[in-house]
Amino acid sequence: MPKDGANHQKGWNFEAAAMPFVDALYNTAYRMTRNAEDAEDLVQETYLKAYRYYDKFEEGTNFKAWLFKIMKNTFINNYRKKQQAPALSDFAEIEESFENQVSEDATRQTKNPEDELLENVLDEDVQRALDKLPPDYRMVVILADLEGFSYKEIAEILEVPVGTVMSRLYRGRRLLEHAMLEFAREHGYLREGEPAKMRSKSMSK
Amino acid sequence: MDCKQVGAALFLFFDNEMEEELLTPFRDHISGCSHCAKRMDYTRKLLVIVREKCVRCSAPERLRHRILTSMPHRGIVPGPY
Repeated sequence: MPKDGANHQKGWNFEAAAMPFVDALYNTAYRMTRNAEDAEDLVQETYLKAYRYYDKFEEGTNFKAWLFKIMKNTFINNYRKKQQAPALSDFAEIEESFENQVSEDATRQTKNPEDELLENVLDEDVQRALDKLPPDYRMVVILADLEGFSYKEIAEILEVPVGTVMSRLYRGRRLLEHAMLEFAREHGYLREGEPAKMRSKSMSK
Repeated sequence: MDCKQVGAALFLFFDNEMEEELLTPFRDHISGCSHCAKRMDYTRKLLVIVREKCVRCSAPERLRHRILTSMPHRGIVPGPY
């Protein structure tokens, strides 16, 4: 790249626009790769690509979402294959439409024990439950609940229809809920008379 | 709105994604139905847990440094890194 005035200006503009998102990108990268080294490489590559294609960014559109989209594509290309994580199509049987899922759940009652169990959920349970989610569901939950993106922005990042975002988010949160309740239930068995630190996951019920 | 429609709209409500004209029928139903009011409270608790208890990790300083030094414009004007 020639180091002329225009590119020089472009570089500083890019840096000022992009660097504020390094923590958000890294956090998502870490949750997706579940590995600090891979997460750093993924974020670094995202920045290199974003810098290269900065001219293509449309002024007035969401820059943070644009960065996340580049990272999503890089993640799919580099890490998906490496991890040999099952693609969503392998989860076809659970990838139902939002309407179907909701209709199934409509009769579900909130039981008091679940309500109480929710209070027992520890920080680490949320992490573990999130790590357990299939990647496509994990991604949607991270984008919505950790990064606060709107459905429309998530649809743009993932390049899927808004309806798909809704159904993955619904399913993802339900899976997360079940996993968290399961961990909380495990603590419950160990709770009485034991200090919090003894409530280790290694202890069987 | 009936219980089924309210159940389907709970996440949308907390995500601020509900259509404007549905907000009033949604609230009206909740205020008159203890079953849905309970579900709403449970959903709120669930989302608060996910959003607040999930620890965010910050990018390590060496990653910031790596990114900045890899940008071509940094080659001309030395930055603070």
